[in-house]
Amino acid sequence: MNVWYLVYRVIIDDIIFYPPVYQYLIIPGLIAALLVALFIIWFERKAAAFVQMRYGPREIAPRIGGAIQLVADLTRYALQEIIIPETVDALPYILSPIVMIILALLPLEAVPLTSIRTYFPIPPDYSLLIAVALSTLSPLFVVLMSWASNNKFAVVGGIRESFIITAYELIAVLGFLSAAAMTQSFNIVNIVNMQMSGKWLGLLNPIALLAVFIAVLMSTSGFPFEIPDSESELVAGPYTEYTGLLYGLNMGGGYIKRWVFSILIALVFLGGWAPYKPVPGIITGYFIPSLIVSIKALIVMAIMSFLRSVYGRYRVDQALGIAWEILIPLTLAAFGLGLAEAYFGVI
Amino acid sequence: MPAKVALKRNPKKNPLGRVFAGNIGALAIGLKYFFDPNRITLLYPHEYIKLRQGYRGFIVLIQDKCISCSSCARICPARAMKMLSVKVFDKRLKKEMVKKFPVINYNRCIFCGYCVDVCPTEALYHVPYHDLVYMNMRDMILSLEDFQKEPENISAKEGVPIRYVFDEKRGLVKLRQEEKVTAQPVEQTKPDTTKQQASNPEPKSINKGGASQ
Repeated sequence: MNVWYLVYRVIIDDIIFYPPVYQYLIIPGLIAALLVALFIIWFERKAAAFVQMRYGPREIAPRIGGAIQLVADLTRYALQEIIIPETVDALPYILSPIVMIILALLPLEAVPLTSIRTYFPIPPDYSLLIAVALSTLSPLFVVLMSWASNNKFAVVGGIRESFIITAYELIAVLGFLSAAAMTQSFNIVNIVNMQMSGKWLGLLNPIALLAVFIAVLMSTSGFPFEIPDSESELVAGPYTEYTGLLYGLNMGGGYIKRWVFSILIALVFLGGWAPYKPVPGIITGYFIPSLIVSIKALIVMAIMSFLRSVYGRYRVDQALGIAWEILIPLTLAAFGLGLAEAYFGVI
Repeated sequence: MPAKVALKRNPKKNPLGRVFAGNIGALAIGLKYFFDPNRITLLYPHEYIKLRQGYRGFIVLIQDKCISCSSCARICPARAMKMLSVKVFDKRLKKEMVKKFPVINYNRCIFCGYCVDVCPTEALYHVPYHDLVYMNMRDMILSLEDFQKEPENISAKEGVPIRYVFDEKRGLVKLRQEEKVTAQPVEQTKPDTTKQQASNPEPKSINKGGASQ
């Protein structure tokens, strides 16, 4: 009895709820991200179908609106043979999707999801800066995979991806850091605690929220900016040569990146675990705040997916024009607005 | 007085205003359709469009009316219809004699309906449906007996009849056949065809096998 209780405590406290493991693998991390990707892909197809007067996925389970369709797709991807073409550079070809997923989830290790000291994965003093910095790593591997594929479509997709990276990164970083300008702190715990009174930074500085929102859509090839892997021009962009589970990883990779950015948006601009005040204890101090953040991020992601049904796709030059000519001045304005709000003590 | 062509001026001259108005208008339409979806996809095996009586579907022969004039075989542009010599007992002359009757090959038929139009005694008629699956090509060349039976309306057995109506507010709307405003003559012809189909079980098995493939 005693031994089993000890084992139970070890598994629960020291393995599952050990903050680096929990945040990377369980609630905002891998498992939750996969579930969210399944739900969001289904929701995206369904929302686009509703707006375009169709039914969307239906045939597998008509009563629940075909929600199991994505499980079937995942099974298919998992069981399909992985074909490695002769002309590819095999090692980067195989490794880059996996490394991309690993690095895409890495910013979750930097953010605190609760205000209780024992559940910080890393010391949270510069967590916003570290998270934003880590989020810029994974797109490099999209470029690497397009180069390793040795395919013209893939190379064109990789070039577009690199254009888009250089365009959006400045916007995302400046947009997130305007929160730091407003609160004079890189500490996400401080930023969330300041929003506890209901003054969410997204409401105080909507320009920054809008800029970050568009930058996230652009970076994760969300629909109005689905440029690197535009299906009608390049077959699948950088993912053209991939089959089976590796292709599934690539497809999920975009959604996982978007999920991580949504978590950041929910923490920084939408108040994090704001209405709820964490109380010491595993469930009340760690599980519930992380769940609240995840639900906010899910809503952000659902709005992003809904845009797919409304907008058409931009060309590369249009998207880059929006980024460099409109969004970067807008982000600088948001930064200035944040500084002004901090100076006049609105927050 | 001729109608004047009124050129509508674009009220959104300001580029910033155009950006906001365009985006918000698009999002509003999207949200409207998201929360009040008007879905017009025909879920085919579960639903089917009920066609009117004049539709050029499968062709059926009434042998008693046929006077063996061969007009249908002659006018057929696809050469789908051929005359077949059959020994029959003529009731009027009261003797056994060889007469010619049309048979059809659905491999070739283009459903133009010339044979039905040209028939002087109205011995041929259309049934208002055309969705039928044959297991092989040989079954599509009908014998004289098969040509006289109405083929089974398989979609009516498994699906719900649907019709499309143009609504002033919502545009094209999908409705069930029952929820209708005006009375239509389609209803009267439908039940007796289904009764006839129920009486012959032979083509039913063929159709089922074909549909499940």
